[in-house]
Amino acid sequence: MAKVTVNGIEVEVDPSYTILKAAEKAGVSIPTFCYHPRMDPAGSCRICAVELEDSKRVVMSCVTPVADGMKVLTESPKIHDARKTNLELLLLHHPLDCPVCDCGGECPLQNMSFAYGATESRFESHRNDEQEDLKSDVLIFNANRCILCGKCVRICDEIQDVHAIGFINRGFDTIIGPPLGKKLDCEFCGDCLEVCPTGAITDHFVRYKFRPWQLEQHQTTCTNCSSGCQMHVETENESIVRVTSKEGLGPNEGSICVVGRFGFNHVQTPQRFDTPYMRIEHRLVPSSWEELLPELANRLNAIRRKGTDRVAGLISSRVSLEDAYVFQSFFRRVLRSNMIDTGARYGFMNAAIPLVEATGTLRPLVDHEDLLKAKVILLIGTDPVAESNITGLFLKRAARKNRAKLYVVDSEAITLSNRASDHIRINPGGESLFVSVLTEEIVSGGNLSDEWLTRKEELFKNWNVDPGVYQRLVNDLKTAETGILVTGRKMFRNENASLSMVNLMKMTGALGWIEKEGCGILPIPETANDLGVLMMGATYEWLPGLLDARNETSRKKWENAWGTSLSYGSGGGLNQILQGIEEGKINALITMGENPIGHFPAGSKVREILGKLDLIVSLDMFQNELVDMAHFVLPASSSFERTGHFVSVEGFVQKSVQTMAHWGESLPDWEILEKTSLAMGNPMGYESSEGIMKEILRFLPDLSPSTRNGEHFVGGTGDIHLVKPVDSTGFSNPSHVNEPGNISRLSFEMPPHKANRNSVSARFSEWNGKTQPVLDAVSVIPGEGEFVFSMTKSLFHSGKMTLQDPNLKKIQPEGKLRINRQTARKRKIKKGEKITLSSIHGRCSFVVEPSPMVSEFELVFPEHFADSQVLALFPSEIAFSPETGTPTTHRIRVSLSTETVS
Amino acid sequence: MTLKSLLKSVFFTEIMQGLKLTFTHMFKKKITVQYPHEKLDLADGYRGFIVHRRYENGQERCVGCDLCEAICPAKAIRVVGDIHPEFPERRFAKEYTLDFTRCIFCGFCVVACPVNALSMTKEFAHSSFTREGLIYSKDQLLTLGDKCESESIAYLKVRNMWGAEDSGKDEGRYHFPPISATQSGG
Repeated sequence: MAKVTVNGIEVEVDPSYTILKAAEKAGVSIPTFCYHPRMDPAGSCRICAVELEDSKRVVMSCVTPVADGMKVLTESPKIHDARKTNLELLLLHHPLDCPVCDCGGECPLQNMSFAYGATESRFESHRNDEQEDLKSDVLIFNANRCILCGKCVRICDEIQDVHAIGFINRGFDTIIGPPLGKKLDCEFCGDCLEVCPTGAITDHFVRYKFRPWQLEQHQTTCTNCSSGCQMHVETENESIVRVTSKEGLGPNEGSICVVGRFGFNHVQTPQRFDTPYMRIEHRLVPSSWEELLPELANRLNAIRRKGTDRVAGLISSRVSLEDAYVFQSFFRRVLRSNMIDTGARYGFMNAAIPLVEATGTLRPLVDHEDLLKAKVILLIGTDPVAESNITGLFLKRAARKNRAKLYVVDSEAITLSNRASDHIRINPGGESLFVSVLTEEIVSGGNLSDEWLTRKEELFKNWNVDPGVYQRLVNDLKTAETGILVTGRKMFRNENASLSMVNLMKMTGALGWIEKEGCGILPIPETANDLGVLMMGATYEWLPGLLDARNETSRKKWENAWGTSLSYGSGGGLNQILQGIEEGKINALITMGENPIGHFPAGSKVREILGKLDLIVSLDMFQNELVDMAHFVLPASSSFERTGHFVSVEGFVQKSVQTMAHWGESLPDWEILEKTSLAMGNPMGYESSEGIMKEILRFLPDLSPSTRNGEHFVGGTGDIHLVKPVDSTGFSNPSHVNEPGNISRLSFEMPPHKANRNSVSARFSEWNGKTQPVLDAVSVIPGEGEFVFSMTKSLFHSGKMTLQDPNLKKIQPEGKLRINRQTARKRKIKKGEKITLSSIHGRCSFVVEPSPMVSEFELVFPEHFADSQVLALFPSEIAFSPETGTPTTHRIRVSLSTETVS
Repeated sequence: MTLKSLLKSVFFTEIMQGLKLTFTHMFKKKITVQYPHEKLDLADGYRGFIVHRRYENGQERCVGCDLCEAICPAKAIRVVGDIHPEFPERRFAKEYTLDFTRCIFCGFCVVACPVNALSMTKEFAHSSFTREGLIYSKDQLLTLGDKCESESIAYLKVRNMWGAEDSGKDEGRYHFPPISATQSGG
């Protein structure tokens, strides 16, 4: 330890610390421009100058390591002069256009000039007069205002690992921008925009539309994916102007992805429903809640009296815990029906059911911090950067900075493939075979039977798996000190996904990763609250708390808790609901942000089946196919308009708060259901979302809110840094927070977010004994000249909902079919051309985008843009998985032709 | 009663004293002005109605920077900034409303304006039968500014805000890429 005196305050710090960090520990703030706690110091702005008392030298505190006995002065006449001169030099070429600069009012350079009084310059020079770079649709680079601190370039390199911008030219001519004067083409995360201390980087969406002092800030949770990012939503007159973050805020540590940062405008577009609609004589007419609810209640009551399980419900997995809880309560208590299902059924259920069976919980064993400590990470069937951007960021950091061995098993090259030590580009269709062989290899300890050996041979021969790489992977997995298996959407939407998940869990168990701290399996949920909605029992299998809904004892438990008798039927999921409707056993359907028609091809007759219903009630924000045939369309609030809790991929239960005014007459989902139940004469008695959360916590106390608070810099001007934990809303704030010198990540008295390893491993060993590794067959085999067509999640959209977003529509306006670049060249297909795909079920034409990332056997399309024409490629017969009830057809063999269909 | 006071009341001395003042005023210059037939000459620094100004080439000066809104103590000003429809790199005020029913004519907004787009005039007698009639839009303010251009320049000169206009130098004058010294001259 080194003893350092900062302004007379003596602190003992690690010798690896810089003077800046030591000063923070002493509670002394030093102004900075180019310093950023998550990145390596650069020492380029020269504003953090401090004086060493003994040698009278001026050094840069952000790059100078401490020495024992060092005496530092952060404020002295010499330092004041040095900083003032430095500001004069920075302002020499800086244009004085603060009044029209979007940064004016929150600009550290402005604040520092104000603080140090650098009003006049002793130097004569010209002002920079570069043209603004307006080429990009998202970001604007203004070279005149740039002070070349390099934060944007470094955050793009070190944190995002995208390398989209850099320094161009040298000396006075240096500017920041994308290479070769091209249009910016990157992930558009906007982190550079966030860290820029001046107005050199601004964005098109809110350009010139606001002034920072007019905005009101609300800290909330992003509900676009399962990362659970904490962000600041800034509003003016209760409408959202922009979304920002703060360094170190929340589990995302201040980074937000493109969807979170720019995708907020769909909630305030005129296309949104602002009044309830009722169908009168085949036409939807605007109505009011007072007029509509009694009518709806009457019709629901009439159907309810016919018996149990007469009303089916589908709920999106993007809603909050409160909404999901009230939804299942409404169905089981009021409508006496267990015919409920969630949006997780389309994919995540394939992981959820095996996970709950094996571990008894949906909470993950590992979180993002464990990813940073892991030595070996196996990524299988997932693209974390697109699915859960922050998981992707942590993986990038683990592989790049912490030198974790990263193995990627995927047909497509994903963003993380660049950082992978090995990428097994398995041909599409062979994933499940690969998983089963790998599992058998590990479970049996390498003693494969002849049957398995032939399968392994087949893997090497036909599926593009390199034996050497495979062996390396097996060895690394076996010898890994700590290892984590990450899996996600592509795995869940595999044809044999639930079996593969069982195999992966067996493998994790055989490697000993279930018992070992820091090891485990991290399934990335597909949407913001997959975990939470399932924990709330919004599916026919489970009651809240993941208790079996059809088990008599667990039903009794909830009967006691609610003080009512539960007399719902045996229930069923999506499959049974569609069957029941067709057979006439179900008369009504209530959907909450779900549209089953949009998921299935027209040939599957889902529309016709739903047409047999007596009553369709759709709670939604936008028009869709189901709304067109619904009898009641009820405007639901977006997540920006209500308070709710969401469970993130790491298991944090985080609060999302109301930031904007209610849109028209829209109401939160729970309130609509509560009002309906009241009109039905059977009120559930929920008054506020706080009340609902209180009730949830009374029965399920382990869901109490938790979050990770990173290091967070506060200061009067935004440039003077001191480490303090984030004062987050709604979370307990221990008393030692404000003690100076408490630099390490403060341990809050937070409920654990991860699964309890002891109880999980006990349950797992019992499950492990019962199940055997399953042989998975090869799922899709493309024939000669054929491709496998699949759909993935795009980085620039969250769901179909964000297609309505003007900002995101500008970034990605249409879905393009990605095809292997070599294949495209061979077939003479150029970018932007139209081609036609035909499967045995139908044809559809696409605009092509050749990409080096896609393998030569596959064609990839972003699922958000999959309309009925695209879905026509899929078989009309819907197949459901016998184990988990999920639809199994997500990929299809297609052939390609360059002629277009009319 | 003394003799002195008796004489005072007999000869109406006090009344004569008072009338003396009255009669002297008959020979002095008249101060009362027959408003509205006659009008006073107001000083150049008179803080009358606020107007919007233009450059010599007819371009409106306002850049929609919101500083007047920020400083206004009566919250009479509302500015909505946006991208200029013709020049994508310029900021302009999409909406600008000045509520003269709230305005206290303190002149802070004129001081805050970085481009001398605002000035005060000698206009003071604008009236309306409705409140809305006194909420001026940008177009109204510009029309008024065109009418009273010399007055607005005189105000800025007498209030020491004209220096940057005359210096012709880059320094001291706010240099905006949208409206630079050369562009504003025409």
